[in-house]
Amino acid sequence: MTDRAAFRTASHDAFGNLGDEDVLPPHDWAPGRPPNLRIRVIWVAALIVTVLALGRLYVAPHVQVQVVQAWTTVFLAICVQALPFLIFGVTLSAAITVFVPPGFWARALPRRPAVAVPVAGAAGAVLPGCECASVPVAGGLMARGVAPAAALAFLLAAPAINPVVLVATAVAFPGRPEMVVARFGASLATSVLAGWVWAAFGRTEWLRIPARPAVGGDRRWDAFRQAIRHDLMHAGGFLVVGGAAAATLNVAVPPGWVSGLAGIPVVSVLVLAVLAVLLSVCSEADAFVASSLTAFPSTAKLAFMVVGPMVDLKLIALQSATFGPRFAVRFIPLTFALAVAVSALAGWTLL
Amino acid sequence: MKKTIQNLLLMLIGVALLRITVVSGEYLNYVRPAFRILLIATAVIMLLLGAVGIWIDARTPDQDEQDSRHDSNVNGGGHGYADGLADHDSHHHGPDHGHSHKAGAPRTAWLLFLPVLAIFLIAPPALGSFTASRATARSAPAAAPPSKGYAPLPDGSPVPMSISEYIGRAFAPHDGLPATLPGHRVVLTGFVMPSGQGRWYLARLHIACCAADAFAMQVSVRGAAMPPKDSWVQVTGAWTPPPKTNRTIVQPIAALAVSRIPKPHDPYE
Repeated sequence: MTDRAAFRTASHDAFGNLGDEDVLPPHDWAPGRPPNLRIRVIWVAALIVTVLALGRLYVAPHVQVQVVQAWTTVFLAICVQALPFLIFGVTLSAAITVFVPPGFWARALPRRPAVAVPVAGAAGAVLPGCECASVPVAGGLMARGVAPAAALAFLLAAPAINPVVLVATAVAFPGRPEMVVARFGASLATSVLAGWVWAAFGRTEWLRIPARPAVGGDRRWDAFRQAIRHDLMHAGGFLVVGGAAAATLNVAVPPGWVSGLAGIPVVSVLVLAVLAVLLSVCSEADAFVASSLTAFPSTAKLAFMVVGPMVDLKLIALQSATFGPRFAVRFIPLTFALAVAVSALAGWTLL
Repeated sequence: MKKTIQNLLLMLIGVALLRITVVSGEYLNYVRPAFRILLIATAVIMLLLGAVGIWIDARTPDQDEQDSRHDSNVNGGGHGYADGLADHDSHHHGPDHGHSHKAGAPRTAWLLFLPVLAIFLIAPPALGSFTASRATARSAPAAAPPSKGYAPLPDGSPVPMSISEYIGRAFAPHDGLPATLPGHRVVLTGFVMPSGQGRWYLARLHIACCAADAFAMQVSVRGAAMPPKDSWVQVTGAWTPPPKTNRTIVQPIAALAVSRIPKPHDPYE
């Protein structure tokens, strides 16, 4: 560990008062700061609370436009529903990077990526959450030395094949266990294929692996806290972007559009695959939405349920935030194409 | 974004979540009732994270984050204390590598204020006839019947039931199951949705997880004048056979009485 104080002093010695270090108060200011900072925090907090309370009284009753209300309801619904899972995901991710010994994953997973990918994909079956949780967890796994291809297979598989989602699927399609089987098989196959393709063709410089230096002893809890806050701040803003985009589509897409295309065989699969991306429904709920799309053939509904947990607007935003845009522009089209192809194949053979 | 603002933001999100769960119950406009405990737990974690953050960061204002996360940058010297300045990361390792070395949060974190503002400034109500009328294109199938078919209805006073159960029972003969509705009166609860030419539907939205996946359940009310759009009503009535019997027809109900009621605690089915 670098002693921060020594580091700060040393960098001052080396660079004088140049550069960004200018904005630092000299080290000996520190004793005077806490009271000022605390008072400022209290003032800012009081100001925000006042604004919100006044807004509640004077602004909220005047917002009556139906479109605005419906948009805001859907937007808030997506944010509110995703937050617990995002918290779960970033907490688990922080625990993986802070408390699990660095060498653990190297020992737990097969060394060869070609073997590690299917193992990691199947391990996705044990993370009971939706897709918002799996992105930070995959980032944490990569930071702890798991081969990116294996972590990506986990990322894709976890939201689609965990028990909660499979039970939801069985409930949404009563008397049709083949839908559950097809969903499980197609999702796992897509994840493993995507992992293998990345292992074979992916380049290191496309992927930005979150940096998590190891810490030990007393600093662990502090590092844990900061890792959670860091991930929340990075992923949260993008979750909001995804929620806003999905809400816009929810209130803006003309209702007749979708059902008109239901009868055309190949088109119907593509339409529902694209709809899964645009609607960004949580993977624990998408089976209910799929089963409500009665006009569509089963294969199209399967594509909806395979694509949705792997590619949707909020995932595109979250993945870009976590792994960088250069990763997202390559990996997301790859996943989408694989998911559509595999579900078409699975629908053709199983349904 | 400065660490102080980040901590305040976390606490604010916690307060907003408590406001819609514990204080007002508005969360039911957005998600299923089962989310209550998850949301409260999330709120507590957010408040704790923010409070501990403010406490620790105020005591040790320019340490910790850089220490624990940036050991590798001994020769960097580029981390501003002010996190906002750290956005202009001074040691680029390439366009994609700056992010994970920043002490602060990216500018996108400011967007997290939006849901908080929406909760306090707009306080959007439950989805209503606007969404239901849009959702008719993918109108809901009748809920699948229970495995043993529907139980016979008790005789006597009108039976309260959900609109989805009513639709399910109405379609039962279509699926070869015994008809259970003829000869009984039922009570249905929903909101008013105009269907054109002075006629109206009694509608209720069904959500599986959150309001983003809402779809509409509706029955066509016959023999009663239309109450104001979006008002909540209870319709007591009896099933009448629809003119056609295909799977997509809106089932009718012949109204005996229509009474206005306050909005139910859980607006969705």
